[in-house]
Amino acid sequence: MTVTAPTGIPTGAPASRTGRATPPAASVAQPRAWVGWLFIAPNLVGVALFTLVPLVSVVLLSFTEWNLVSGFGGIEFVGLENFVNVFRDPGFWNSVVLTLVYAGVSVPLTTILGLALGLALNRDIPGRAALRAIFFVPYIVSVVAIGMTWLMLMNPSSGLVNQVLGALGLQDAPAWFASSYWALPALIVIAVWGGVGYAALIYLSALQDAPTQLYEAADLDGAGVWTKFRVITWPSLVPTTVFLLVTLFIGASQGFGLIALITAGGPGDATTTLPYYMYQTGFQFYRFGYASAIGMVTFLGVLALTLLTWRAQRGRALHD
Amino acid sequence: MIGRGRAGTPTRRQFLAGCAGLASAAALGGCSAGSGATPPNTLNVWGGVPPGSGPAALIDAFTAAHPGTEVAYTRFVNDDRGNLKLDTALQGGVDIDVYFTYQTKALALRAESGMTLDITDRLADEPELAPFLDRDNPTAYWDGDRVRALATAAEPWFVLFNEAARERAGIPLPTRWTVQEFEEITREIRADGMFGTYEVPDSARIALGPDYWYTPDGGSNFSDPHFLEWLELGQRMIRDRVAYPWTEVLARNLDAYQHTAFVSGEFATWVNAPYSLRYLYNEKDYPHDFRVAAAPLPTAADGTGWNQGQFNNFIMINPQSPRQDLAWEFVRFWVTEGSKHMAVGGKIPTLGNVPQEEMLTSLLGPDPDRWFDVGSFRRVLFEERPHLYVDSDLTALPEITLAVEQQQDLCWIGERSPADSIASIDAQAAAAIDRYRKAA
Repeated sequence: MTVTAPTGIPTGAPASRTGRATPPAASVAQPRAWVGWLFIAPNLVGVALFTLVPLVSVVLLSFTEWNLVSGFGGIEFVGLENFVNVFRDPGFWNSVVLTLVYAGVSVPLTTILGLALGLALNRDIPGRAALRAIFFVPYIVSVVAIGMTWLMLMNPSSGLVNQVLGALGLQDAPAWFASSYWALPALIVIAVWGGVGYAALIYLSALQDAPTQLYEAADLDGAGVWTKFRVITWPSLVPTTVFLLVTLFIGASQGFGLIALITAGGPGDATTTLPYYMYQTGFQFYRFGYASAIGMVTFLGVLALTLLTWRAQRGRALHD
Repeated sequence: MIGRGRAGTPTRRQFLAGCAGLASAAALGGCSAGSGATPPNTLNVWGGVPPGSGPAALIDAFTAAHPGTEVAYTRFVNDDRGNLKLDTALQGGVDIDVYFTYQTKALALRAESGMTLDITDRLADEPELAPFLDRDNPTAYWDGDRVRALATAAEPWFVLFNEAARERAGIPLPTRWTVQEFEEITREIRADGMFGTYEVPDSARIALGPDYWYTPDGGSNFSDPHFLEWLELGQRMIRDRVAYPWTEVLARNLDAYQHTAFVSGEFATWVNAPYSLRYLYNEKDYPHDFRVAAAPLPTAADGTGWNQGQFNNFIMINPQSPRQDLAWEFVRFWVTEGSKHMAVGGKIPTLGNVPQEEMLTSLLGPDPDRWFDVGSFRRVLFEERPHLYVDSDLTALPEITLAVEQQQDLCWIGERSPADSIASIDAQAAAAIDRYRKAA
């Protein structure tokens, strides 16, 4: 490890003008490093125990067959067999498709609506501060409260949503969570509802950093609202948009709580996305090696998509 | 920036920081440590029944009968998370001597993974436990020719009738009926705002009995026509609004809260087990104004049939236990002298060693005549001796259970035909069994 001399004097620097010799760097740095390590020890131990150990365990387990109950002695090395089986598993591919649909619809929708809301809340409208807080509330509410509320709202016979649809003349309203066709769209609606406030808040902070001199110049040139958005606002928001797309996509690909609470992956396997499929495989079937392999493949897939998104935005930002 | 004292001497602030860091690290490290060695005269028992519902009294009786011994009872919730907690404790070396298994899929995993002590020879030395060695009417879990667990309770299923609805419809209480008659009677009993039944009986289980998901050679048995008939029966009765709409069951997560819908009069008959009776005399939490009677489970068309309930609540000894003799004595006590204490919580002992009337009082609460037709329960639970069993083939049981539940949902919400659902279950079960055989 490299330790910087605490006085800011480079290691091995000549004696100062006062003529006092600078102490050797190591003798100064070592006690301070010791104290530093003590300060970060709690976090370091926590990260090691609860992040690094599980991370390494998952990698190692993905090459084994293990059912947990048999104890560590029951771990059997199977090489790449789990990975081969993952790619042959129709349940895995079903969950990949569902995850892509879930993330592929909910993330762009959340981003677009978040942008629209951010732009609206950036204007000088009455009650702006209260509105910002209201739209952000779903993001901080417990997933259990969200799940139970939407479960009631979307009840096929007595829920408010279908009552409104009925009043609007829709006779065959969807059965939502009790339909394999509508359960995933219903989850997407909840995900978008819960994420829009967060996206709007991020956009708001970016909008407030927008270069005002460019807008003034555009006004002098007689640019319209759309032109200003297209050539100034949007390019300045590209890094924020990419950040949102990446973080929301990662979040969507890890989404578990709502599914576990509301649909348990059903009806049938209509909402068995990758995280829930991993849970079923690991914690219902106790196939921990196989579940770890699914986790590894998922991680690599999300990483690849994240890198692709990142590369795609290069050169498109205003300040690049 | 942190200040320094004299060369090499940490300041008081540095010292305190260091202490805090070390203490935190030590505390985190201590998370994985055990709670220390258990004294040799103390048994650690893990069960799913709350201590106040029988285990505490049983343990008091055991320690009184065995002076110098102590029992530490740990309760786990009998759901996926609670069973995972027990399994991680077992494989992590937590000091557990005796534990319970309630879910058949958990029994499969624990028995196959060597987490259960072979108690065959100990059983053979106890004449009063001879019924557990009966292979024709098994009440223990057999792994090949070895006994790994004893079922401590019988859980016969029955059909509960809302008596107000039955009397209004003028239907006599069935004392012997077929599945077809069940369909006819539940059609008759339904009324405005009240379905005829919550769910249809498991007619395939009634016809086929133990290990009904497996052929005699261990393959998938879902091509047996009884499975198709069961799904058809359910879909037909739901479509005709005789059985409770499955969309509502899913949308309200009603499976765990069926009792609330029964006491509020949403359906007139309820296929269920003794553990649900406690809701029906709990006037405070589940107010209702009707009495309940019991009819036996319907039989197959030829009048024969198994019950869809089983001998359950398996007690098992951890092979890692250093106190196996004491653990066995506890197991023996639980299923013999101790069973009367569990009867208070509604557990019908496997050995039938609690007097019938005492058992009825336990099951039907302090004022049974107010809430129940007591005679019907006496007849259904005890006099007619329901035909119970223990499954022994548990291959790929968790996977098959999920496949059955998923396809049952799709079929009963009307999105999939019974034939397609059965074909899908059959294919998934065959693939899961095949994978387990290859891994074995």
